[in-house]
Amino acid sequence: MNEPRTTRLVEAVLRCYPARWRRRHGDEAAELAALLISDGIPAGSIAWNYLAGAARAWLTPRPGRRLSTVACALLVAAGSLGVSAGLLPSTTSARAAITSQPQGPAHCRPGPPEPEPGMISALGRPRVIIQGAGHARSC
Amino acid sequence: MAVSERDGRAGQDVLRRVGEASVLILISLADGPKHGYALIQDIKELAGVELGPGTLYGALDRLERLGLIEPLPADDRRHPYRITAAGAAALRVHLDSLERVSAAGRLRLQLGGI
Repeated sequence: MNEPRTTRLVEAVLRCYPARWRRRHGDEAAELAALLISDGIPAGSIAWNYLAGAARAWLTPRPGRRLSTVACALLVAAGSLGVSAGLLPSTTSARAAITSQPQGPAHCRPGPPEPEPGMISALGRPRVIIQGAGHARSC
Repeated sequence: MAVSERDGRAGQDVLRRVGEASVLILISLADGPKHGYALIQDIKELAGVELGPGTLYGALDRLERLGLIEPLPADDRRHPYRITAAGAAALRVHLDSLERVSAAGRLRLQLGGI
């Protein structure tokens, strides 16, 4: 890799660090990278190492703060994705269960006899029939 | 949270969880202040470990937060660091602990006849 490209690469990666880190170490870090590259260490390896360091710097809580804002945002985003991923299969299977036809004879299914779909029960309360693997339960 | 010199004297191995890079940096600083490039070169010579620059700065920040090292006035762009009294005490405790584990390991290898 030629010198201007390696310099640009390192500079780009150093911009990933938080501003407080760059103010403190930025100039020295750029100089250190140049020295290491001149020692024969691949620029890509230095850039990756700085990139990993930048991720750690963002995730390290500052004194007086429990977690940095970005770390909180990442955690919230990861949590939302996790909840969505957890809900998706359950809603899909529930919908599939509601729309599927009953399987097997009625006497195999626990609970009282079920009304025809769309019927109102004797108690005057609509019931949702959830079925799975040939068995049904009402709720 | 800074580590006090008393923690070291009390025999608490505060370096047990800081990682190998931090321990190597403390060992390197034990004979005098150094800046980033000098630390990388010294650790390579001392332990055969090539510390990446990102790893180095991460470890320096952690050690400084713990009060085990402190920055000296900048020399041009370079910031030298020196080990604090608490850092020296913590390093001593950690090295003692490593020696005990090392001795026990050698003894067990002997007893096992491996």
